Amino acid sequence: MTQQAPPTALTPEVQAMIGVSGDIVESWGVVDGEYMRRFTQALMDPDPRYWDDDFASSTRYGELIAPPIMVSYLASRIRPDMDDPITAAFEENPESDGIGSVARPGELPPVPTDLVRVLNAGNEIEVYAYPSIGDTIFFQNSYSDIRERLGRDGTPFLIITRETRYWNQDDVTLCITRASTIRR
Amino acid sequence: MTTLLDDLLNMEPEEIWRRNERPDADGLRDKGQIYYEDVNEGDELPKYIYKPTPTHLFRWSAAIENFHRIHYDLDFGLNHDRNPSILVHGSWKQSVVPQYLKDWTLPNGWPWKARFEHRAMLVPGDILIMWGRVTSKYEKSQMGFIELEIGMKTQDGIESMPGTATVVLPLKDGPPIPYPFVPPAD
Repeated sequence: MTQQAPPTALTPEVQAMIGVSGDIVESWGVVDGEYMRRFTQALMDPDPRYWDDDFASSTRYGELIAPPIMVSYLASRIRPDMDDPITAAFEENPESDGIGSVARPGELPPVPTDLVRVLNAGNEIEVYAYPSIGDTIFFQNSYSDIRERLGRDGTPFLIITRETRYWNQDDVTLCITRASTIRR
Repeated sequence: MTTLLDDLLNMEPEEIWRRNERPDADGLRDKGQIYYEDVNEGDELPKYIYKPTPTHLFRWSAAIENFHRIHYDLDFGLNHDRNPSILVHGSWKQSVVPQYLKDWTLPNGWPWKARFEHRAMLVPGDILIMWGRVTSKYEKSQMGFIELEIGMKTQDGIESMPGTATVVLPLKDGPPIPYPFVPPAD
């Protein structure tokens, strides 16, 4: 008797999502010192390269710099010209988790799979340059990788990696982040 | 000389806290360069110790505008998500990583890349130890590449963020690391 292989989760429709990119989004606002003060204090990073103009001008960067990963949060701020997802979330459900379900600019289309359980599988960051005060931040999401693995019971699951590149108005790449999720 | 991770994990929490090696502003201003030749396999990086409180978590939520209630609403966390308390943000941990690598490579090295997983729920009251250890080193394109094992352990030795990182240090007689950073071709 031959054993039947489990159906693949990596269907042609899922494979077709690899390389799919979202819109290029220009973030609202610019890199500013006040946002950076709040961010670096909350991070507990007292580096004077972030706030001491005189010292920063003496470093190889010649000016104040900002933490590259900061732009990933700055870029996800709720824009004032869009529906407020927080207000909407609690109007829909007074017991909302505080995240809500309003799509943010640049979101990717969903991967067409019946696997609904989502687990965090890891994060990556690559750093190429420090943002400067006044920089305008652009970003673009893409599905950089989707692969199939088999669980201990032989059931297939997916590891979906979403890559986001952040760059400034001079087209200088600041950092690339990748977030992988397991879909079971 | 940093306190070894294994030694820290044998200490009482308050003793761990006293071994915190997070630099202050002047320490970062005056930090001398570590060169590729100074580093050996097995070397440990300084240990950054954190004692997150609900106020720290709230401040991080506000700073990055993350309104997920599991990070500041204890009643929601306990009764809705059945968590043991409010939870330390994964986003905070993953922001500490590039800070940690930056600090170690300052002033002229480069904290190139890191990858890590989130494995444990961290809560106020935990003492957290950000750590790193050199696993290998190699020269390429007149730059010194250092491979690291990194993580963030609790006082009980639970690894909440196992990962790896690659940083670049200048050679003593080498050219400056290019900026913006350009990785060498494979």
